[in-house]
Amino acid sequence: MIGLLSGNSGWLANFYDQYLGFIAFIIRRWDQVVEYTLNHFSLVLTVMFFSLILWISVGLLISRYEKLANTAFGLGNILFVIPSISVFGIFITIPMLGLGRTSAALALILYAMMPMVRNVYRGIKSVEWPIIEAGRGMGMSARQILFQIQIPMAWPIIFAGIRVTVVMITGIATVATYIGERNLGRFIHHGIARESADMIIAGAILVSVIAILLDYLLGKIESRITSPGLLREQDHN
Amino acid sequence: MIRLDKVDKVFPGASAPAVDQVSFQVDEGNICVFVGPSGCGKTTILRMINRLVEPTGGDIYIKGQKVSDRGVNPDHLRRKIGYVIQQIGLMPHRTIEQNVALVPRLLKWPENKIMPRVKHLLEMVGLEPDEVSKKYPHQLSGGMMQRVGVARALAADPPIMLMDEPFGAVDPIVRGRLQDEFLRLQKEMKKTICFVTHDINEAIKMGDHIVIMNKGKLVQHGTPMEILSNPIDDFVKNLIGTDRETKLLELTKSEEMVTQTEEIPTEVSEKDCFIMAVDPVQRALEAMMKKDADIVGVKDGDKFIGTISWEDIKKHINRISGDEA
Amino acid sequence: MEFEMERFITALVDRSPPHALEHLQLVLIPLFIAFIIAFPVAVILTRQRFIKYTDRVMAFFSMGQTIPPLAVIAIFFPFLGLGRTPALFALTIYALLPIARNTLAGLKGVPRDVKEAARGMGMSEWEMLFRVEIPLSMPVVMAGVKISVVLTSGTAALGALVGGGGMGAVIFAGIDFFRAELIIAGTLIIAAIAIILDRLLSLIDNMLTPPHMKM
Repeated sequence: MIGLLSGNSGWLANFYDQYLGFIAFIIRRWDQVVEYTLNHFSLVLTVMFFSLILWISVGLLISRYEKLANTAFGLGNILFVIPSISVFGIFITIPMLGLGRTSAALALILYAMMPMVRNVYRGIKSVEWPIIEAGRGMGMSARQILFQIQIPMAWPIIFAGIRVTVVMITGIATVATYIGERNLGRFIHHGIARESADMIIAGAILVSVIAILLDYLLGKIESRITSPGLLREQDHN
Repeated sequence: MIRLDKVDKVFPGASAPAVDQVSFQVDEGNICVFVGPSGCGKTTILRMINRLVEPTGGDIYIKGQKVSDRGVNPDHLRRKIGYVIQQIGLMPHRTIEQNVALVPRLLKWPENKIMPRVKHLLEMVGLEPDEVSKKYPHQLSGGMMQRVGVARALAADPPIMLMDEPFGAVDPIVRGRLQDEFLRLQKEMKKTICFVTHDINEAIKMGDHIVIMNKGKLVQHGTPMEILSNPIDDFVKNLIGTDRETKLLELTKSEEMVTQTEEIPTEVSEKDCFIMAVDPVQRALEAMMKKDADIVGVKDGDKFIGTISWEDIKKHINRISGDEA
Repeated sequence: MEFEMERFITALVDRSPPHALEHLQLVLIPLFIAFIIAFPVAVILTRQRFIKYTDRVMAFFSMGQTIPPLAVIAIFFPFLGLGRTPALFALTIYALLPIARNTLAGLKGVPRDVKEAARGMGMSEWEMLFRVEIPLSMPVVMAGVKISVVLTSGTAALGALVGGGGMGAVIFAGIDFFRAELIIAGTLIIAAIAIILDRLLSLIDNMLTPPHMKM
């Protein structure tokens, strides 16, 4: 059937050519594929590790001290107006950082702030007052209320934020190849420079597959971790 | 057991105090009901007893110890006081079992003591432990959740209970039942209870002692009888409502008003008009109306002890109403 | 990296304007197209008959943001080559989700009793949609459009990589030649575009929102 189709339409034949070409490319450059994929993951993991510690703490902080909340969200919004490539670019101008992983990681951690902090804040705020009042009335200390009531109840929303952040970071990480990172974005980057369709498509498909996979896996975990007692609609942003 | 001494509360930014120089005492084993319109300060007073709100003036004593003292740890204090609120506040992400076991766990009771206690408590409040223990709050009806709320407050067997409109979130029929069952429980437990409600009828039914509040001030306090007989001003009269006399009749037991006789009057036996000694006098009126009689016989068990006549009731009401004829 | 004030001003005043214009196109066109796709689709999804498709359709829109924009452009390379068209294509796909999601949320958020009353008064489904549901969901929808604008504006910088022009060209030049002025100039202009568009949208939002809902 393929023969029939390609016989009938040159364009279609071209299409198949292009698309199947990338598979050969991936097989050929398998070592590079593995290297870039591992780098990609290690970057995302590093970023998430620090982001979780940092931004969950900040989120908890601003949910207690409302005045800080406005500042935090304002800063976060400003960041999103700046294109990722600029943030990377600005970081590499800082003398101590220069090209490479540190700049990339720092920039990505900054981007992780908005979805993480917002979801932690919303999650904590979503716990209704009577439940906290009852907890206080029974004699739970502030710490106990935080760890036994607020965080467990906020967790589904927080986790939704983690999921969004992971996917977003994976995506933006591709742009970091322009400041020296060697991850899957590099295939796209070099592919465009050399106008090599195979390379571009290989890179694009690999990154897409990983992004979708991560989103799917985290989504599955998300539905597992919700206590059956919490019938809530989760925000996905 | 609980004593308030000139307690004040002014919230920051407020022009008038929420609670103004309130002093009174709650005796051990009593249910003291705080009643009044919205915003009168009754809930604030309740929450000052377990220091969810800190008084701005005055002192609060529990069993002689000053609890409004900074030195007393509020969390520890609250673990020894049962707290029930209108919206109940069960933790949705925990099972009923886990909810009820909360304070005992905070107090580090050994596990083998906790589980049987939870079972016992659920039974006490009229629930089937096997049915509800493993369920989550959202799977229960409003009335059931309210019972769990009470069970939870009783878990660590605190000597004092604070209840803020605990039966408010259910319909009147369920509420009546919950009130009756709670009174029955209290007969056994004899806890010292502070109960807040905006419903004067609930106050009269539940309270051994009533405290009437208005705009932060204590207007009148006393037993339901005292308040119904001698309302101190128009505000209290309005609060009680125009059916004051009827309410009084509901509170008075027939045996208190009976005219003792040996012989059963003809009219009584003809019309078969009898009530029990422990019935409220209200019942006598109803019987009179139903059997079309002016007099009812009063029995104590099987034994006939006397009569109540329409004249008796009229006289009694006039006497108690005081100047109102 | 070096920074010279003079070069910065030149970058801002001389080099930027044509790129800025391109950038504006890279933002406005995708947004417009994304709106006329995402908005009606989301509205349709709230109609009884189509509710069952909601999850699947939203999953589809979500892919637009799960897959990195760079990858989206790349995947369509065989069809569209390099240049402005693939850039516009990719950016449109990227802009779909916030609009769709917010439209859905906005419509779902219309109070049930209002709809009930409208039906009770004899409004047909169409009338209710256009006279009640859509006006009442406007604030949330516009919020979604604003999010899309900001995201698209930032992502459009990548358009330069595929020959689509835009301020990204200036920024990438700055990185390639290690000149901070270009990076900062480019960034400022993109930010300015995003903020101005955001304000414009707020104005439109104000005009479209029924008076009682204005905050």
